[in-house]
Amino acid sequence: MRPNDRKYLKSHEWCKIENGIATIGITDHAVSHLSDLVFLDLPNKGQGVTVGESFGEIESVKAVSSLYAPVTGEVVDVNKALPDNLEWLGQDPFEKAWMIKVKVTAQSPDLVDGKTYDAHCQAEG
Amino acid sequence: MAVDEALLLEAGEPVLRCYGFAPHAVSLGYFQRFADFADLPSGTPIVRRLTGGGAIHHGDELTFALALDASLLPRDVSGSYALLHDAVLAALAAFGCRATRLPAGHGQTARPAERWCFAEPGRDDLVTPRGKLLGSAQRRIQQPRPRVLHHGSLVLRRPALTPFVAAAEDQAAGLDREGLAEALARELAAALGLALVPSALTAAEQALAERLRDQRYGDPAFTAQR
Repeated sequence: MRPNDRKYLKSHEWCKIENGIATIGITDHAVSHLSDLVFLDLPNKGQGVTVGESFGEIESVKAVSSLYAPVTGEVVDVNKALPDNLEWLGQDPFEKAWMIKVKVTAQSPDLVDGKTYDAHCQAEG
Repeated sequence: MAVDEALLLEAGEPVLRCYGFAPHAVSLGYFQRFADFADLPSGTPIVRRLTGGGAIHHGDELTFALALDASLLPRDVSGSYALLHDAVLAALAAFGCRATRLPAGHGQTARPAERWCFAEPGRDDLVTPRGKLLGSAQRRIQQPRPRVLHHGSLVLRRPALTPFVAAAEDQAAGLDREGLAEALARELAAALGLALVPSALTAAEQALAERLRDQRYGDPAFTAQR
């Protein structure tokens, strides 16, 4: 069971909203399917992100994948240490490997709770 | 490159596109630094791919792009490579060309030290005793729906800038490129459980490819963006 204090997109991003600020990352399920990670590109502080649009990109040894924003708003903080410590994504994807914090103006209607996301992952295999 | 991205974003059916580079050119992986290639011979055309990995000198080769729904492939990246590369092996075998798909245990677990894709064979790569024969990379998207773009560069004759690669001509001199492309299409379709139907770009794909060429791949700023 994944943390129930946050919501999830079926594209495998998680989003924890506290006091209007969304902390965003990707799930263990996404990481396990990407294999060895080599590069991560995140937006800068002050940039805008939009629900459903790519906010960054991650490269494993064999594939580049887009990361999708679960909320719309302005990036107020970035985990700048993460691109140089990609092993954190395998070790602690829900805390230490957070990616960006966004001041939320809108949320994706597709966000689901942990139980629903677990079921989605199980169905996806 | 613009056509390949248009196929990723627009195509309704799975599409295999076989092509080549004229003039010969170098493609950079999406995350590679342009400055790392300042030593290339003057006038070498350079393009940035949407897919990752190392740079490729596209000489006499069979280049292909496969764009399809992610649900048609194994979900994990390695499983998808195994399926697609085994189809390439079968196509090569029809021409008497043998190669091996490297098992788990090969490959980088950190940022690759080599800038050229073919310099560092890794897990699931196709190799011969002469070196790596096929360069591959993927781009995966979730919007508008989960899709995969798989790029492949199958070396027919060793290119000048990367003489350390394997080439199909090592085992099958004068290999028929068109015949190999047809065999590749047949084997990929069989591996994916799909029927093979010749097709051309739709008007929407063509229009999107032209937009992407103008806004992205044809813009020197995109090529030099990293």
